[in-house]
Amino acid sequence: MADQDVAGATVQVRRRVKAGAEQVFDLWTKPDLMVRWMSPFPGAVDCKASCDPRPGGTFSLIMASGEARREVSGAYVQVDRPHRLVFTWIGPLTDQVTTLVTVELIAHGDETELVLTHERLPTSAMFEGHTRGWGNILDHLAEAVLGVG
Amino acid sequence: MVELEARESVASSGGRLDAVFAALADPTRRAIIKRLSVSEARVTEIAEPFPMSLNAVSKHIRVLEASGVIERRRQGRDHILSINPHSLDEVDGWIETTRRFWGVRLDAMERVLGELNKTNPLGAKDGPDG
Repeated sequence: MADQDVAGATVQVRRRVKAGAEQVFDLWTKPDLMVRWMSPFPGAVDCKASCDPRPGGTFSLIMASGEARREVSGAYVQVDRPHRLVFTWIGPLTDQVTTLVTVELIAHGDETELVLTHERLPTSAMFEGHTRGWGNILDHLAEAVLGVG
Repeated sequence: MVELEARESVASSGGRLDAVFAALADPTRRAIIKRLSVSEARVTEIAEPFPMSLNAVSKHIRVLEASGVIERRRQGRDHILSINPHSLDEVDGWIETTRRFWGVRLDAMERVLGELNKTNPLGAKDGPDG
């Protein structure tokens, strides 16, 4: 469930996968692996990633498909392979507001439980009364949920 | 605090929210909502700027009505459309949007893990059990 207030909302998603924690951690921190699943565009896309996974280091993801283009960037806050990765996340989904993502990996034998916590999300309260907010909402919905621009 | 997997969360938030997302999937329907977010309007006013028949626009309007995103009332012979602001309460705080975003991304991550471990079965068991 999500908590929501004017200071931002939090979303938590859990997923248990059949893979070791090291391998899952690498999917989040190695550019050649990040580009294989981070893009919201279906099918063939031009996706570039760069990252410097140490505290204070930055990452950037640039994804393009035809005319559409999305850019996400952030900085690493904590890098503890293969247990915990904390980084800031700035992109169209967050309306260019700096948000915080924590990825925790918990080993369960051959499987790994991934707990993703995305904090400081902008809320409707920040956009109330602005038509711009509606436009943003609709555009972001289309982008985030439907994979279109 | 009850924490749910993304998929369970999507299922538990019910068909209504799914209907809202489906309604927003179309650019014409998003344009209709943007127009109505400025002010209410007659069906004919809504249809005017679109390069399609009134009938085609009416179909989009019916999808939006069924999802609860817009409402219709009669004023004499006119049908007035307005947005139902509460219909987007669950998604406009980015909460459901963000949850779905990561749900879709983690699905993709799992697919990549499957591909990697098919050719290089490190850290994962063979076979689709469990």
